[in-house]
Amino acid sequence: MAAPEVHERIRAVRLSVDRTIDLLLSPSPAALDRCSEILETAGRQLAEFQPLLEQSRGTAAAFEKASRLEEARKLRWSVVRANRLLDGAAKFHDGWCRLRDSLTAGYTDRGAPAPTPARRRILVHG
Amino acid sequence: MSNLLSQLVSSSSTLDAYGRVLDTTQNNVANASTPGYAKQTMTLEALPFDPNSGATGGVRAGVLMSSRDQYAEQGVRQQNLSLGAQQQLVTSLTELQSEFDISGNRGIPKALNDLFQTFSAWAASPTNQATRQTVLDKATALAQTFQQAYAGIANQEQTAAEQVSQTVDQVNQMVGQLQKFNQIVMNGNHNDAGLDAQVNATLENMSQLIDFTATKQVDGTVTIMLNGTQLLLASDKQYKLTSSLSLPSSPPPTYPNAPANVQVLASDGTDVTSKITNGQLGALLNLRNQILPSYIGDAYQAGDLNTMAKQFADRVNSLLTAGNTSDGQSGNPLFTYDTSNDARVAQTISVDSSLTPDQLAAIDPGPPYVSNGVPLSLAQLASPTDIADMINGVSYSQYYGQLAGRVGGQLSDATNQVQVQQSLVSQAQTLRQQISGVSLDEEAATLIEFQRAYQATSKFITILDQLTETTINLIT
Repeated sequence: MAAPEVHERIRAVRLSVDRTIDLLLSPSPAALDRCSEILETAGRQLAEFQPLLEQSRGTAAAFEKASRLEEARKLRWSVVRANRLLDGAAKFHDGWCRLRDSLTAGYTDRGAPAPTPARRRILVHG
Repeated sequence: MSNLLSQLVSSSSTLDAYGRVLDTTQNNVANASTPGYAKQTMTLEALPFDPNSGATGGVRAGVLMSSRDQYAEQGVRQQNLSLGAQQQLVTSLTELQSEFDISGNRGIPKALNDLFQTFSAWAASPTNQATRQTVLDKATALAQTFQQAYAGIANQEQTAAEQVSQTVDQVNQMVGQLQKFNQIVMNGNHNDAGLDAQVNATLENMSQLIDFTATKQVDGTVTIMLNGTQLLLASDKQYKLTSSLSLPSSPPPTYPNAPANVQVLASDGTDVTSKITNGQLGALLNLRNQILPSYIGDAYQAGDLNTMAKQFADRVNSLLTAGNTSDGQSGNPLFTYDTSNDARVAQTISVDSSLTPDQLAAIDPGPPYVSNGVPLSLAQLASPTDIADMINGVSYSQYYGQLAGRVGGQLSDATNQVQVQQSLVSQAQTLRQQISGVSLDEEAATLIEFQRAYQATSKFITILDQLTETTINLIT
């Protein structure tokens, strides 16, 4: 596989992950659903060309190794960033849930927030 | 008549209530762009209606409710804290990196390379006086670069100590501001939106510096605790932090003359340094007490730069003293340093100024006798094969490269972490905005959707993370 192609493919995956980062900056259920779709596609793209990369392994002269590695490292940081953002938002909402539970239903005998009995409901907007 | 009066009182009360609602709305509009301001809502309470007893109903203004959610505020502050730490690390490590040149054009790598080349030249002409003099000159140059590197890092230690002191002052100043705000509240000003905004803006600024918890008390004052354990502010009483230099006494220091560590003390003299692990102050303490000493030593470690200087000097000296000069005398050591303190070797290393070119031993008495045996062995230090010529299993140049690489790696990590943290601060600010003013009913439904969406997205991120690692492994 030619060096520019490898580089471009990794870059395309990274740009996809960066799109999820933008979405995760303002997380909503709809934004998270969109993230899942993008990440699934990005993962598929990465998995698809890995066997091709395997074939070129060890032939450093065939492509610019450093350039690809740099792009791959950027991709890793993008994934780390997306992961941290997802964790951050998840922790925030989880903490908020626990706070609401303790405010609504008090605490269990072990000191944890008591789960709110009926958490599922149908909302009808007029 | 009394009925009419009641009606009038009721109408007046209602008008007053609506007037205050209008004031609150105007306040919200006026403060829309005020840093730290949160939208406020005036609650209206129904008045009893009972014509028989003269209760005419209507509404009156209730308690002014701030929609600010302390939980969301704490979320923003927590992310700010880590951002402050990473930004400080980037600034400090950028300065530290400038002390480690890896281009080979200056500093220790160049001086080391020059000396190795001179050893080779000496091996080629073992009796040449000019070459011997060059050996002395290049060895002196290397010793000077060790001294300069030590001085540069020691200077950064001093700067970091000053920065710790300045940051502690900043924290005290901000807590002092909050103390004044508390006094205003204690004087009866409970629902001043502007004051509330100032309090929150100050807390947000302070969150870049130090890890603290802020709790709003029933009387409206704010209590500040350092890392949840040490009081910094309660009501109108401030507990100031101080910083000082201290050499630990327990366990007894291995290197008693090494530079002291910086410690932060609570107002009662308790050492709270270990409790400050995050924020700008945490990063500065980490830099001053951990990162920089790993190079130039402290009470319990010699420091990698000192270790390198000592091992190199000892190896060169041992090769030279095992040799003989042309007049049959034993060789003299080239380098000297303060042998009483391994944590000061790079600072004190030098070439004996009384040493003359004649006193450099070139002859390996053997057997077999080799006239240029010593310089040949010295030249071997550049690309060693014998473990005795190595340091930690690598050449001296490679060892120095590892030291420089460590700073570079830490800086690169911190730079990437700043980017991550900036995103997290931005996200926390958005979440804070989202949580304010959203009805609890709406949120109950949304949170369930969130939970499901998080699980799905998290699964895909885990898969992508593994694929990325595999890709990197395929490339390297």
